[in-house]
Amino acid sequence: MNDNGTQTAMNARPDLLAPASDLKRRYRTDKWFQRIGLGAIALSLAFIALLFFHIVREGHSAFVRTNIMLDIDFAEKHFVKENLAAADYTALVKHALTETFPEVVDRRDKRQLFSLLSSGAAYQLREMVLANPRLIGTRQQVWLPADDDVDMLQKGKIDRDLPEENRRINDRQLSWLDTLASQGRLETQFNTAFFTGGDSREPELAGVLGAVKGTMLTLVITLMLSFPVGVAAAIYLEEFAPQNRWTDLIEVNINNLAAVPSIIFGLLGLAVFINFFGLPRSTPIVGGLVLALLTLPTIIIAGRAALKSVPPSIREAALGIGASKMQTVVHHVLPLALPGMLTGTIIGMAHALGETAPLLMIGMVAFIADVPGSIGDPAAVLPVQIYLWADSPERGFTEKTSAAIIILLAFLMTMNSLAIYLRKRFEIKW
Amino acid sequence: MTEQTFPLYGGKAASLQERLGDASPQERKTVGTPFVDDPRMTCREVDVFYGGKQAISKVSIDIGRNQVLAMIGPSGCGKSTFLRCLNRMNDTVGACRVEGEIRLDGINIYDPTVDVVPLRARVGMVFQKPNPFPKSIYDNVAYGPRIHGLTKDKNELDEIVETSLHKAGLWEEVKDRLREPGTGLSGGQQQRLCIARAIAVSPEVILMDEPCSALDPIATAKVEELIAELRTQYSIVIVTHAMQQASRVSQRTAYFHLGDLIEVGPTERIFTNPRHKLTEDYITGRFG
Amino acid sequence: MNVSHLVAAAGLTILMAGPAMAARDYISIVGSSTVYPFSTVVAEQYGKSSGAKTPKIESTGTGGGFKLFCGGVGVDHPDISNASRAIKESEMKTCADNGVKEIVEVKIGYDGIVLANAKAAPEFKVSRKDIFLALAKEVPDPKDPAKLIANPYKTWKEVNAELPDSKIEVLGPPPTSGTRDAFVELVMEVGAEKIDSLKAMKKADAKAFAKVFQTVREDGAYVEAGENDNLIVQKLQANPKAMGIFGFSFLDQNADVIKGSVIDGKGPSYDAIADGSYPVSRPLFFYVKKAHVEVIPGIKGFLAEFTNDKAWGKDGYLADKGLIAMPDAERKKVAESVANLTPMAMK
Ligand SMILES: Nc1ncnc2c1ncn2[C@@H]1O[C@H](COP(=O)(O)OP(=O)(O)OP(=O)(O)O)[C@@H](O)[C@H]1O
Ligand SMILES: [Mg+2]
Repeated sequence: MNDNGTQTAMNARPDLLAPASDLKRRYRTDKWFQRIGLGAIALSLAFIALLFFHIVREGHSAFVRTNIMLDIDFAEKHFVKENLAAADYTALVKHALTETFPEVVDRRDKRQLFSLLSSGAAYQLREMVLANPRLIGTRQQVWLPADDDVDMLQKGKIDRDLPEENRRINDRQLSWLDTLASQGRLETQFNTAFFTGGDSREPELAGVLGAVKGTMLTLVITLMLSFPVGVAAAIYLEEFAPQNRWTDLIEVNINNLAAVPSIIFGLLGLAVFINFFGLPRSTPIVGGLVLALLTLPTIIIAGRAALKSVPPSIREAALGIGASKMQTVVHHVLPLALPGMLTGTIIGMAHALGETAPLLMIGMVAFIADVPGSIGDPAAVLPVQIYLWADSPERGFTEKTSAAIIILLAFLMTMNSLAIYLRKRFEIKW
Repeated sequence: MTEQTFPLYGGKAASLQERLGDASPQERKTVGTPFVDDPRMTCREVDVFYGGKQAISKVSIDIGRNQVLAMIGPSGCGKSTFLRCLNRMNDTVGACRVEGEIRLDGINIYDPTVDVVPLRARVGMVFQKPNPFPKSIYDNVAYGPRIHGLTKDKNELDEIVETSLHKAGLWEEVKDRLREPGTGLSGGQQQRLCIARAIAVSPEVILMDEPCSALDPIATAKVEELIAELRTQYSIVIVTHAMQQASRVSQRTAYFHLGDLIEVGPTERIFTNPRHKLTEDYITGRFG
Repeated sequence: MNVSHLVAAAGLTILMAGPAMAARDYISIVGSSTVYPFSTVVAEQYGKSSGAKTPKIESTGTGGGFKLFCGGVGVDHPDISNASRAIKESEMKTCADNGVKEIVEVKIGYDGIVLANAKAAPEFKVSRKDIFLALAKEVPDPKDPAKLIANPYKTWKEVNAELPDSKIEVLGPPPTSGTRDAFVELVMEVGAEKIDSLKAMKKADAKAFAKVFQTVREDGAYVEAGENDNLIVQKLQANPKAMGIFGFSFLDQNADVIKGSVIDGKGPSYDAIADGSYPVSRPLFFYVKKAHVEVIPGIKGFLAEFTNDKAWGKDGYLADKGLIAMPDAERKKVAESVANLTPMAMK
């Protein structure tokens, strides 16, 4: 530094006690920037809180169900046939109801009385008898599911002060229900069926287990295909592929694939897996394959980013003592990149978890009442279940829709927590 | 060592003047004693290109047994590039092309039939920045022997780890925490760990690229001591910017300038009596 | 973490999946979204009471359903296709070309399409002509009926002086929906025919006439509300001025918050649709591939469940879901042809 330079530096030396105005301005800009950032975060948190609040408010009532307690007489005369499953269980329910309300004799009135109970009541009794045949000949107090209209009334979603003709529950039915309630025979209880049942067209019987299992089976297929393939592709492209026009082309195409509308993958799945390979429609195997295609680009891109972030000095160290390329990657680079790859994979899976559009094409948007047992059984997935319930005319499905959304969110949160856990677990401290 | 007469290309003797003088006498001239008797490695007319750019031109030099060769020169002159040719680390740089001939115990290491994996086991490398694996101290050292299958059982491996750490002068400091991560050591310890890792596979040549540039004087002194000890068993090539260090640890010194090997000679002579003007300018500090 | 293990596991999965898909032991049903709510209830009842696997039902729309249904014979193709209209000749031909030669037609009942508004709003009494004039993109010029002009009507009162003075705002299904097809055919076409100048046009140029009654206005008076009828119901509650078009079952389930308009003198009640006096109703069907009946287990049982009076009868559980039952004689006739699996005459 020459004398001149020192001189100018001295003149421009800032006064520590009275900062120049431009410095103040700089601080002001800093402050504003921070405020805008904070505001953005607050806003997004507010939206999330609003969403949660709304969904939980709408959906929490689906976790309880209105049940009616009846004195069921498992009289032996109903079980004369060899096959217990074929007995007329509806008759048991009807019998118990007429016993409770002996004054109801008119055929039309009886019909209205019987409609207070769900069609699932008879099936519940059948399950009970099949599980425990010794019930035959006894008299039991049994809690049976009420009809969805009763359930809605009980939850205040049907206004009992409306004129009778505007209600799905008429005045007679109301009075019966009031009688039942006064006898302690009408209660809202925890809705186990929601967690143990498959889909149903009766809101009071519909459960998410089928969709949850379908989701799990589908995601397992997706994960098992897209993770190894995606990681292998990322490793090849990042560590082994020569840099030339072809690899550039592949890279551009992978990035494009990540932006392709998901329904295109559904069309591809339909053409390739169902029409060409003849895999069955509506099954987790096909769904998993399609979603694997959908998540592959995400996983490859995240995997490459993770590999890129591994310092080259680690590769040099390994190569320098004679590790082969493959050993270098497997022993040193991959473990360091794994947390990043896992994060990318989980993000991809979460993306797949929310998809319905590609599944529409391969027939997974369907009414499937049986809980799937394997990847070859027809199955629905959670977002599809939500979509189907939202589209059902019965009022009772409104709360079920929100409750299924809660389950989906819980699924997502579990996956994200898993991602955080895995990242922590595999993270290598420097 | 005989000056300017030496066996070349399998015994055919020729003077350096004769051999290098033909192309462009002024630039191509390497003064001093680039060749030694009974070399471990021989480099002949090595050219290195990064894409179209030439980084090393017509470098010929020998690496002797049980001695330290220091490579000095201004930044960007090609020292690292040349060093990395010696164990083919440059293979990993896509754009890099090496021409000429480099032999290890008579075998051309750039021959297509030569496998780099055993080559790098025989020509180890220590880098400028300590780069231990993010694994335990033990695993760092044991990694080489494991992948090369040098040991039969755990005891043998333990022994190699211990002797390597001993040789690297690190044993006393880490013997109680072999299972702790190598990255938790201090910078100087990490660099000695890297040296231990390199010598665990019993290389014949160790290449060191500015191994002390990230270290404090005490750690530097330790590494220098270590180099002096290692010399009894290995051939060592070290790149350094510290003239003092070169003069302390090496027996021979090579001065590179803009991709040319300008002068090679016994370290003492290079530092006391440089023959080439460029060498003199550099040593006396007339270069940046 | 071992990459090769993962790869092996993935390979194994695909191998395991192989044997699972050789045959199909459940019924596969596709087709109309209008029939879907009825078909699914029967499927569920059938599955529960028989203990067999519950049929799988996809809501693909009537046309989409026939496309899959007529794809061929075999486990890869559906057994039954639901339809909110009768099968077209062209669809029968596709079926026949692909080897689906014998199809059993099952008429299951009727569906009404309603024009509804919020319970709080005044009741509407309209004619189909009014609806046509309110919703068509081009209508005859009131001054010179031979000329077509862009629909100038902003309020219902402008369409018909007897109607309330409120803005025309109708939420309805998009063109992909079967409900829209039926609405165009049963309301817009009939409404257009009531106008003399258009009637004349139909004689002269049927194509141009079709274009007039099929094209719904796009200036905001008609809002395509998507396939989700529940959404329309919710929007009607929020906006008492608006009208909505959807299937009778949604009115039936939400009668406490919305009400149906009277069309050509008849309100949309169950009885009015059943006896045919409510003008906007259509028959619903499903079609069975006869070749599958013996191959796929359960089809006969499903048919028996569906054509049982406790399902499709006047007091059956389908009536609870909004299906309008056929008269007793007609039900009996259909049930008979189903029991005998009488195929349709192929053209
Ligand atoms: N990967 C590369 N691609 C292109 N050019 C390179 C590459 N590596 C080095 N070079 C160029 O080759 C020349 C020699 O570089 P090299 O790293 O060998 O210098 P150096 O003598 O080790 O310098 P320093 O003392 O600063 O480490 C420089 O001009 C450098 O820019
Ligand atoms: Mg260097």
